[in-house]
Amino acid sequence: MEIFSMTLITGIMVGGIYALVALGWVLIYKCSGVLNLAMGELTLIGAYVTLSFYEAGIPFVPAVVLTLLVGVVLGVLTERIFLDKLIGEPILTVIMVTVGLSFFLKGLVGFVWGYDTRVFEPPVFSLSPITIGFVKISPVYLWSFILAIVLLIIFVAFFKYTRWGLSMQATADDETAALSLGVSARFVYAAAWAIAFMSAGVGGALLGNINGINISVGYLGLLVLPAVVLGGLNSIPGAIVGGIIIGVLQNLSGTYLDQYFPGGVKEIMPFAFMAVFLLFKPYGLWGWERIERV
Amino acid sequence: MSSVWMPCGDYHQSYAEDHGWWQTRFIKFKMLLLLAVIFVIIPQFLSGYVMSVASMVGYTAMGALGVQLLIGYTGLVTLGHAAFIAVGAYTSTLLVLQFPWPQWIMDAGLAYPISVLVAGVFGGIWSVLFGLPSAKVKGFYLILTTMAAQFITVDFILTQYVSRIGGRGQAFSLPPGTIKVGPWVIDSEREVYYLMAVILTLMVIVLANLLRSRVGRAWVAIRDNDIAAETLGINIVWYKLLAFFVAGFFAGVAGGFWVSNTAALSPEHFPWFWSLWLVGVILIGGVGSIHGAIFGSFFMVVIMELLQVGVIPLADYFPKLLMSFASLKEMAFGLAICAFLIYEPNGLAYRWWQAKNYFNLWPFSY
Repeated sequence: MEIFSMTLITGIMVGGIYALVALGWVLIYKCSGVLNLAMGELTLIGAYVTLSFYEAGIPFVPAVVLTLLVGVVLGVLTERIFLDKLIGEPILTVIMVTVGLSFFLKGLVGFVWGYDTRVFEPPVFSLSPITIGFVKISPVYLWSFILAIVLLIIFVAFFKYTRWGLSMQATADDETAALSLGVSARFVYAAAWAIAFMSAGVGGALLGNINGINISVGYLGLLVLPAVVLGGLNSIPGAIVGGIIIGVLQNLSGTYLDQYFPGGVKEIMPFAFMAVFLLFKPYGLWGWERIERV
Repeated sequence: MSSVWMPCGDYHQSYAEDHGWWQTRFIKFKMLLLLAVIFVIIPQFLSGYVMSVASMVGYTAMGALGVQLLIGYTGLVTLGHAAFIAVGAYTSTLLVLQFPWPQWIMDAGLAYPISVLVAGVFGGIWSVLFGLPSAKVKGFYLILTTMAAQFITVDFILTQYVSRIGGRGQAFSLPPGTIKVGPWVIDSEREVYYLMAVILTLMVIVLANLLRSRVGRAWVAIRDNDIAAETLGINIVWYKLLAFFVAGFFAGVAGGFWVSNTAALSPEHFPWFWSLWLVGVILIGGVGSIHGAIFGSFFMVVIMELLQVGVIPLADYFPKLLMSFASLKEMAFGLAICAFLIYEPNGLAYRWWQAKNYFNLWPFSY
């Protein structure tokens, strides 16, 4: 029972980070219809940028804030250079541009930072576990979760209550109507990409704190895809719930299934679960069901 | 075939003629010349290095043909094709190394050819298994199930279980002389090249024939509008699964071929990168044409070789360039895909078609 609750809580905490990254993904999809396969690489870049700031002697929280700023710049640049020209192109074209982008970014990371595993030195969070009630968890998970939730709330509040957020919501709902009301589509797309880079970057920094940073952080970022599919592609609550489900599922299967299927069950379980899940609910939990006509 | 320009005054008089392989004598001459170049001139007059590059082009093209069939002709986007190639490669290797073949088959050198065929069938079945969700989902959701195929097959089943068969650890080593086709032992660039040329030619013939038949027209109908195709009486689930089977079969055979080209087989030969690479190849070559798959493979492999050749002289001044060449390659590939999609969305095959049309009427193009 203790193992179960510990696994569950760790899962929820990691899931919080996935939820943060998934939010960025869903925002891009809702606002501009781009299905982004480069999310893993955005996470990777965020992790390395934070690490570079941290190694330059900046404390962790300001380093994360600086990463957010770098994320804004990179997001706007990416949107302007690569995706601006593709509005209205077929879906495969846009997806494959993000794939090309992911190759480019991964190559760039490998070129600049190399392939060795790096850790935050000195460790950001203390290593001795904290006891809450009857479960012990390591502070890395707890603080990551808290930071992720705070950012999640900020992003959702931004989306719901500010003028910019409302204009993004309007574009997501009906692009033509939003344009006729004076919303600038170019601004909205750029803002969506900026938010995606920001959320993925912070997610990467937090994930990098847990296991150290190497190219496989990008794979963790890829787990966002099953998360958003579980929640339904265009639902923000779905992304959050999906992220947490994936985190829990991953940790539970790591604990309980690993003895039956030794090896990487933890890594592939989200994908396997998603493939089966799609057979029964093809639009995820809360995705819009598209009715097609000839 | 609208892509064929007939000489002025010549008309087809039957449907058989209209669908014929070689509609004019010039086309027949051209294709025979191409075959002569592939089977005689390249192996006779060019060096082993060129042939090994050509084999790589062929291997890429074998995979890309399957991807082309799925994406370009049936509209099913797949990002997990390397998984099926891997299944083929492992099936073939395991059969050659572990299966108790009767002595006369070993003597006749049939073990490897049979294993390649079995690898194709296995790859096809595996592909159909992961194509099953296509009955219900499409678009992005389907992309994710094919991604799941990649991770489940290569990163889990092959790495954790299949590679351990026989206690070898990570890689299967293939001792020289294992791969035999009939009386010929495949052990040099020249033999690998011939094997590649034969398999690729057969694949192109099979695919081109499928595409000009009822099956191919059904696939194209599904690509263009699946609901309309269904109202026309096409069983779309059956045809989608058939497309998955044929693409998986090609992938399996490609994997079987890859075994002959390598001394040791490990799951690292089939990363997710390779699946994406194959999709990139057909996007650069042109979606929806067999030419596209081949042009794309040629372009990508040759460009990457040139990049490598170009980097070597610079390595004295910037040693980092050569050390992280893999990263450089990824960056170049990513940029190439983006640039092609943004500035040349129809791919190389479209340019080829334009050039052909230009010279068809040349020099009097009015």
